[in-house]
Amino acid sequence: MSVKVEVIEGGVPHNTIMIAGLVGTLVCLYLTYLNVLTNTELFAFFGGLAVVTALIWGSHTIKVLCSYGIGTGVPSAGMIAFGSGVIAMLLATKFGIAAPIVALVLAAVIGFILGYISNNILNMKIPAMVQALTEMAVVGALTLMGFAALITGGFTFAGLTTGTISMLGMTVSSNQISFIGGGLIAVAFLLGAIAIQHPFNACLGPGWKQDRMLMLTAECGFLSMIVAAIMSFALISAGSAIVSLVIAIAGWAYTYNQYICLSKRDAYAWLDAKPIPEMEGH
Amino acid sequence: MNPTAMVVGVVMLLIILALCWYVSPGMGLMALIGIVVGGVLIGFGTHFVPVGGAPAAMGQAPGIATGVAMLAAGAGLAGLFGGAWAAEQGLVVATITGGVGGGLMMAITCMMVNFVYVFGMGIPSASGKVAKDPITGDTQAEFKSQGTEGHGLPFVSFVGGVTGGFLGGAGGTLIYLQLLSLYEATLPAVMGVPPAQVMPIAVAAAGIFAVGLFLVNAVLTAYNITGTIEGPHDPKFKRWPRSIVASAVASALCGFFAILIVAI
Repeated sequence: MSVKVEVIEGGVPHNTIMIAGLVGTLVCLYLTYLNVLTNTELFAFFGGLAVVTALIWGSHTIKVLCSYGIGTGVPSAGMIAFGSGVIAMLLATKFGIAAPIVALVLAAVIGFILGYISNNILNMKIPAMVQALTEMAVVGALTLMGFAALITGGFTFAGLTTGTISMLGMTVSSNQISFIGGGLIAVAFLLGAIAIQHPFNACLGPGWKQDRMLMLTAECGFLSMIVAAIMSFALISAGSAIVSLVIAIAGWAYTYNQYICLSKRDAYAWLDAKPIPEMEGH
Repeated sequence: MNPTAMVVGVVMLLIILALCWYVSPGMGLMALIGIVVGGVLIGFGTHFVPVGGAPAAMGQAPGIATGVAMLAAGAGLAGLFGGAWAAEQGLVVATITGGVGGGLMMAITCMMVNFVYVFGMGIPSASGKVAKDPITGDTQAEFKSQGTEGHGLPFVSFVGGVTGGFLGGAGGTLIYLQLLSLYEATLPAVMGVPPAQVMPIAVAAAGIFAVGLFLVNAVLTAYNITGTIEGPHDPKFKRWPRSIVASAVASALCGFFAILIVAI
């Protein structure tokens, strides 16, 4: 099965993207900790930027893995990334301020063992398998943590499981209105899983260009961030949620435009099709 | 098959079980054993599902025209919803309900796939891997078009799909129930809130862990099958032993992490 069908030509090497993605994601996640230091929720949007950074790294990892004919479809890679990532992420939230680092370590352990299982027990024998599954578990865990920070303003277990509800002018603490208790984590899970697998699935083929795929990833990431920012209205103050939403919409509009430009650049020819004209009297 | 890796896998499984016994003897270990059984059911059940992939979409191979992970996730999550609805009725009833949910989902999928194949694309159902259907005894070769590996969804694949959906749904529900009972019992003390308050957290955390474990097992099985499989009569079905070991190790590892949340 280990036939490499497509080689990476040109573009930024994978290791550079990996290191930049890892550092960028961790920095953005820790910038959300400014919320605690300044006692506001204004910096929650850094969680969304962490999501976009991690997704860019993850989609390039999927490209590296799926360049070998694994025969199971590209979406399966996104599913295993988040399936293993969510487990590491939830356990890591118990470690307070160290959560992003712990999530990185735990996800790497899970991903490494899953890579060993696939390569040796299941006889896949793909050279990039162990490293790719390790990276993807880390991407899954950090992306979910980014969504958690974006929606709740923090990434600790207590913050993710408790919220407040206003009832008759009184503020009551509730476990139902929270990231985990309200089931928002399931939405975040699939928002990330679809955003990570779609770009390579859409761009693969002989005309694959690295910058076009990564731009599409950023676009998918910002699109997910718009939805997550809307969900964050339920858990953080309206002002902070509006900041996240505006940043998400601006980022999405920019990356979408860029992606269309890159698509036109790579296309052989294109035609601005008009909507079907209304024929009167026919 | 790689004997050394199989032995390493079994040893890893025992080490994880021992670690779990160390941090949480009793409840945690029982939950982990349930999770491993559920994961193995998912891994084994996925082998039954007729997966056609892209060739099936063009009518050139038998099976349902999508990937292993998507089909397993669809059947398993449908089962999980059914089982979660019956969670109050006890372990056996809830697990079987989950299985019925998954089987029903696959039965509907298989039937609609055959509708599309037969009435939409105008092709009969024929297997390319066997000369006669193992269940009905119908011959296949007359119906198979030249240059294809068979097409449509023969009866044995249909039965395989329903069996696979049943096993996957039951496995997913079993994982959910084990985690739910563990969290219901331990989360109030861990978080310091009354048991009634903790229910949403227990349900959501057990649910998302069950989904995560399900996807990990389904994708590992997809790697084992490498692409397409026709059902239980396919030669690739004989690869199931290594998938059992892989699913057991992966479920034990992920389940152990899920138990650590309340154990530390």
